[in-house]
Amino acid sequence: MLLATIVRLPVTYAAPIMQRIPGRQLLVPAALLPLVLFAYFCTYLSEIISGKTFSFAYSWVPELNINLAFYLDGLSLFFALLISGFGVFIMVYSAEYLRGHPLLNRFYLYLSVFMLSMLGLVLADNLICLFIFWELTSISSYLLIGFSHDNPVSRSSALQALLVTGLGGLALMTGMILLGNVGGTYTISELLTRGELVKSHPLYLPALLLILLGAFTKSAQFPFHFWLPNAMAAPTPVSAYLHSATMVKAGVYLLARFTPVLGGTEVWQYTLVTIGAITALLGALLAVQHIDLKAILANTTISSLGVLMIMLGIGTPAALEALLVFILAHALNKCALFLITGNIDHATGTRDFKVLYGLALNMRPTAVAATMAALSFAGMVPFLGFISKEMLYDATLGAGKAGFLIFSIVFISKVVAILIAIIIGYKLFWPRVSEPTPIHHPCGLNLTIPPMVMASAALAFGMLPGIMATPLIQSALAPIAGKTLFIELKIWHGLSLGLINSIMTFILGTLVYTVHSRIIEFSPRLTPLYNYGPNSIYQFFVTGLVKGSSKLISIIQSGYVRSYISAIVLTMVGLVALSLWNKVPLLNLTQEIKMLHDVRLYELVLLFLILPGLFFLFKTHSRLIAIAIMGIIGYSVALFYILFGAPDVAATQLLIETLTVVLFVLVLHRLPPFRFISHKSKRYKYILISALFGAMMTYVVLLVKQYPLHSELKQFYGDNSYLQGHGRNIVNVILVDFRGFDTLGEITVLAVAAIGIVALLRLRLEKGGKR
Amino acid sequence: MEIILPFLIGILFASGLYLILHRHFFKLILGLMLFSLGTNLFVFVIGRLTRGGSPIIDKTAETATVPYADPVPQALLLTAIVIGLGIQAFAIVLIKRVYQSFNTNDLDELRNAELIEH
Amino acid sequence: MNHLLLLLPLLIPIYGALLCLFSWRNVALQKIIALMAQSALFVTAVLLLLWVNANGIVLTQIGNWPAPFGITIVADLFSCLILLSSTVIGVAVSLYSLYGLDEQRQRHGYYPIMLLLQLGVSGACLTGDLFNLFVWFEVLLICCFVLMALGGTRPQLEASIKYMTINFLASGFLLTGIGVMYGLTGTLNMAELARMVRTPDPDSHQDLVTMASMFFLVAFGIKSAVFPLFFWLPASYHTPPVAISAFIAGIVTKVGVYAMVRLFTLVFIPESDFTLLILSVIAGLTMVIGVLGAAAHYDFRKILSFHIVSQIGYMIMGLALFTPLALGGAIYFIIHNILVKTNLFLISGVVAKQHGTFALKDLGGVYASQPFLALLFGVSAFSLAGLPPLSGFWGKFMLAKAGLETGSYLLVTTSLVVSLLTLFSMTKIWNEVFWKMKPVAENTNTTEATPHLQFLYFPVIFLTCFILFISFFAAPLINLASRAAQQLFHPELYMNAILKPPLK
Repeated sequence: MLLATIVRLPVTYAAPIMQRIPGRQLLVPAALLPLVLFAYFCTYLSEIISGKTFSFAYSWVPELNINLAFYLDGLSLFFALLISGFGVFIMVYSAEYLRGHPLLNRFYLYLSVFMLSMLGLVLADNLICLFIFWELTSISSYLLIGFSHDNPVSRSSALQALLVTGLGGLALMTGMILLGNVGGTYTISELLTRGELVKSHPLYLPALLLILLGAFTKSAQFPFHFWLPNAMAAPTPVSAYLHSATMVKAGVYLLARFTPVLGGTEVWQYTLVTIGAITALLGALLAVQHIDLKAILANTTISSLGVLMIMLGIGTPAALEALLVFILAHALNKCALFLITGNIDHATGTRDFKVLYGLALNMRPTAVAATMAALSFAGMVPFLGFISKEMLYDATLGAGKAGFLIFSIVFISKVVAILIAIIIGYKLFWPRVSEPTPIHHPCGLNLTIPPMVMASAALAFGMLPGIMATPLIQSALAPIAGKTLFIELKIWHGLSLGLINSIMTFILGTLVYTVHSRIIEFSPRLTPLYNYGPNSIYQFFVTGLVKGSSKLISIIQSGYVRSYISAIVLTMVGLVALSLWNKVPLLNLTQEIKMLHDVRLYELVLLFLILPGLFFLFKTHSRLIAIAIMGIIGYSVALFYILFGAPDVAATQLLIETLTVVLFVLVLHRLPPFRFISHKSKRYKYILISALFGAMMTYVVLLVKQYPLHSELKQFYGDNSYLQGHGRNIVNVILVDFRGFDTLGEITVLAVAAIGIVALLRLRLEKGGKR
Repeated sequence: MEIILPFLIGILFASGLYLILHRHFFKLILGLMLFSLGTNLFVFVIGRLTRGGSPIIDKTAETATVPYADPVPQALLLTAIVIGLGIQAFAIVLIKRVYQSFNTNDLDELRNAELIEH
Repeated sequence: MNHLLLLLPLLIPIYGALLCLFSWRNVALQKIIALMAQSALFVTAVLLLLWVNANGIVLTQIGNWPAPFGITIVADLFSCLILLSSTVIGVAVSLYSLYGLDEQRQRHGYYPIMLLLQLGVSGACLTGDLFNLFVWFEVLLICCFVLMALGGTRPQLEASIKYMTINFLASGFLLTGIGVMYGLTGTLNMAELARMVRTPDPDSHQDLVTMASMFFLVAFGIKSAVFPLFFWLPASYHTPPVAISAFIAGIVTKVGVYAMVRLFTLVFIPESDFTLLILSVIAGLTMVIGVLGAAAHYDFRKILSFHIVSQIGYMIMGLALFTPLALGGAIYFIIHNILVKTNLFLISGVVAKQHGTFALKDLGGVYASQPFLALLFGVSAFSLAGLPPLSGFWGKFMLAKAGLETGSYLLVTTSLVVSLLTLFSMTKIWNEVFWKMKPVAENTNTTEATPHLQFLYFPVIFLTCFILFISFFAAPLINLASRAAQQLFHPELYMNAILKPPLK
């Protein structure tokens, strides 16, 4: 466990260094990493089978209860072995498949990161830690799917996979947080013992649905299945890895892991079985319509994932047992078949099975592997596929009420599997033809050994299930079922119902094969249907997002300063109004009205200087007059300051007003005549906004002024200015002593403004402009 | 007078804002200046008014003789006015430069940098 | 000694700026001075953080006038953290400017103004006085004006006008707000204000205080660019040279958020449902509109600019949720965002230096030609999108957790959907700039040699190291952020520290 962590870090950090090493030199370390991990996990086999578990935790962010906690039991070991074991073959295979690719070094890096993230995911013992690895698989698979980054299809497929699984990831995170809050812990192994507590909590349902959403997106369940076939834009070894032991199995692992906490309720059962059934059926139907071998396989993966979800939903010991056996069988078969497709693509340059003939002639090892893998995929004796198929049939038929319906869906899925198996295992390779498809690149050992090993493994597991598969599966079953169950895998059940079903499947599959070409001819007519499918909805969302936001933003961020300012001022007025909405404080004006008698004449004179001034300001066409009026208004305000005991302010105001007027005249006198560029239609709107704003400000002043103010500061400054500040002008003492710090900032502003003005006038990086 | 000043403040704010909402640079800058006049007067008035009574301690006294105007808003205002000068001066020069560069008086013609380019 | 440490963040930039002004004609010397000043500031900020971490809130009274009468300089964990992150990007941007900014602008006061901008940040973070806060904001503002317009290219001038007008209004609102607060309480010291607001008063003006808080909400809302007040930001941040926009984009809006968080935890008690509701609405809309803006644009820096808006929403969300965890998340998020956003702007600069454009349609092929730059971008971009275990994730996680605990499901859902859209627009840049093949330009002006390009990598690597550190070793910063949030959540700590001995 420790090793897994230690290995992870340097590899993740090694990225910049690895950019410089050519890819071919990296095969050995890249393949050695999964191999060592596989061997390492194998050393735990005997102890895990005897029922022990191991855990290891490294404190990460204790503040949030997030730890790098790992936990090894039968289930995680089962997955860890799959991930690392398949990893070895994928690495070896890629070395030849992508030989000479300039970015092979990065490919190894991404693949290693991806593999380690998957391992972290299945080993994690902390909800958030699991989620982190979950997202890491998303991002590394994004880089892998978009590996052929020059190709727009690759890029958009990668983005699609990232967004769909990212959506699920966010749902998962929310679900995890809820689950952690409900269960009172983020440690998964502790949570597993609190199933009853969780299931009886009101937040159980949202948590469950969110986690299911996460699992469904990752495991390509309807209606999120569409990203998986598109993800075949990735190089074939990546597809093989994603489809067999990793990525799509993450959702299955997650739900299997949480079965003791979340499973067994009606919602769980109905959701999983329904969604699984739809997915299984849909995948099967889609698979028969394609001619691209990779697309066919991708759709059968969807179908198989649906079957896995059904098994999880049924949740009986028989179903869970079938689940695990099917995971193993599916991983072996699917990986082998993908790699074989890769070989065909590599050798002939096409994946269209209609133009591929007689390949066995020139690719014999691949042909043998293909046939074996196809036999297992079709569920033939004595391969593991057969055992798994029998178990699936038994489990569905034992599922109670809807058993037969579920059975028939699994049955259809298997019929399609037979069809595919006939195509890949027989049609492409063996029929004698006069002109076999020409081979451009021969397949080396690196390309033929991995599928061969996998097909042989499927055979070996099928022949000797008792020795090779049973103990591991039994120990993997225990954590899901919550108790140890003794199981026995047998290749021969006698003349049972299962066997009859298998024979029926085979016969039907062969029949479908005979009409397959007609199905394919018919399939383009279904295209209009796909226009309403999830893939189109996704496209609609993405393009709609870009277009819609463009429209929205060009309205909001229109470029017109006055709309910005209107929005800001209206917000201001609105917020002030809202804040006083509940209890509008009444203005008590009687006191103030009495004060009207107190108004002195010269005060009124000032007022009558300002108001007409403003009026003329609006009307004038002359810049100079406008400047002069501004001066008058400024001086009048300064006089108010004098009247109310603020001679210093008044002096400053007068000085500054003069300065501004001078500056105005100096700087702006050479502008062209003062034109009116009015906006008549909107004028009233702006007048209204301005009036509202002015009224609000008046209201605020009146409101605040009607409360008495006891200013400590006034008292203190009045008492201490002379005694402690040694100045008789209190305002000055405040400015230079009590609050001298403000003055520092004030000087800074002036200095910066001066620098800015100089820079603005002297530095003109663009030519022209000056007339 | 105390009753009139709040209304004067409102008028200053309103006319300042109205000028800012114009398209013309020159009016924009006039509006900004009116707005800041309004702001200053606002701060002054809301700190309560005292007629006469400058906050200056008599030669003969050691502490200020009541009633005297609250010196705090005055000190704040002095700082704010000077800061305002710096910013207004910069704004005026900026306007000049914008006019030289774009050869227009119209704010609405300054939208190019914000448009969405595909 | 202690007082000196508190004042150094203010003194260093002042002296640095003065020295730069004295060596006006000697740009090389200015570079050295600026770099040294920024580094010294960084060291000071680290020391200050360690000191505050050990001793709790520290303060000094300017001129030794007791608390409500003079101006208090005060540092708690929150202000130290913001200060520290501003100095980190200060160092990075100074490094970048050495080779990344044209000679002309450097000759016309770039360095002194940069340092004075830093002074404004330090002042705003450290002051304990409401009006003094206004003064520092004005310093920030005028520095931003000048930097924004420095060089006087047409887009810059166009942006400056809008920037100036709107921020001028914001200052006006801030000043009127301060006036209202003084008119209600007769004091300006923030601790004293906090105490007066909390003291039950016979002629209780609680409603009026809420009303006054709206002035500050709008003023700082404009400064920090929340919806519907953010317009100046996308209108201006893409126009100045990268060194300038990186610094301004990194820190200025966050100082606005800082001030908002400070006032709305200390002075205005947002336990009133009204304020929290308003903040939640603002947070949600800011996130959504910002991210939609990013989705709409096809210019490297415009996308980044709109993302600033969107990310501000997350910070406000932390304030709106108003639990210690949420505030801690917001603080972590602010720091993360300062670093990441600056880094992304700098990266956009490195790309544009080589390819001569920010338009996505004319860019491409960087993934193949400069894998290392792609990696650096990937770290920052995916961090911004909140992918684990990068830094953005931690902030997002803390906020989501806090939101789920308080039952704010709508806000949490919004924030998560927005993070997906963030991922979408980050991958848009990734797709167009890095993965896509470089389109064949009609007139190839891209071949012009860019000397010293490798030096531009230094600041980016420098910031990326910080980002990776707070990602993989998130615990210390999360711990600090949580404790900073605890301090904010217990304003009596702040009040008691400043009003010693408690006045009657």
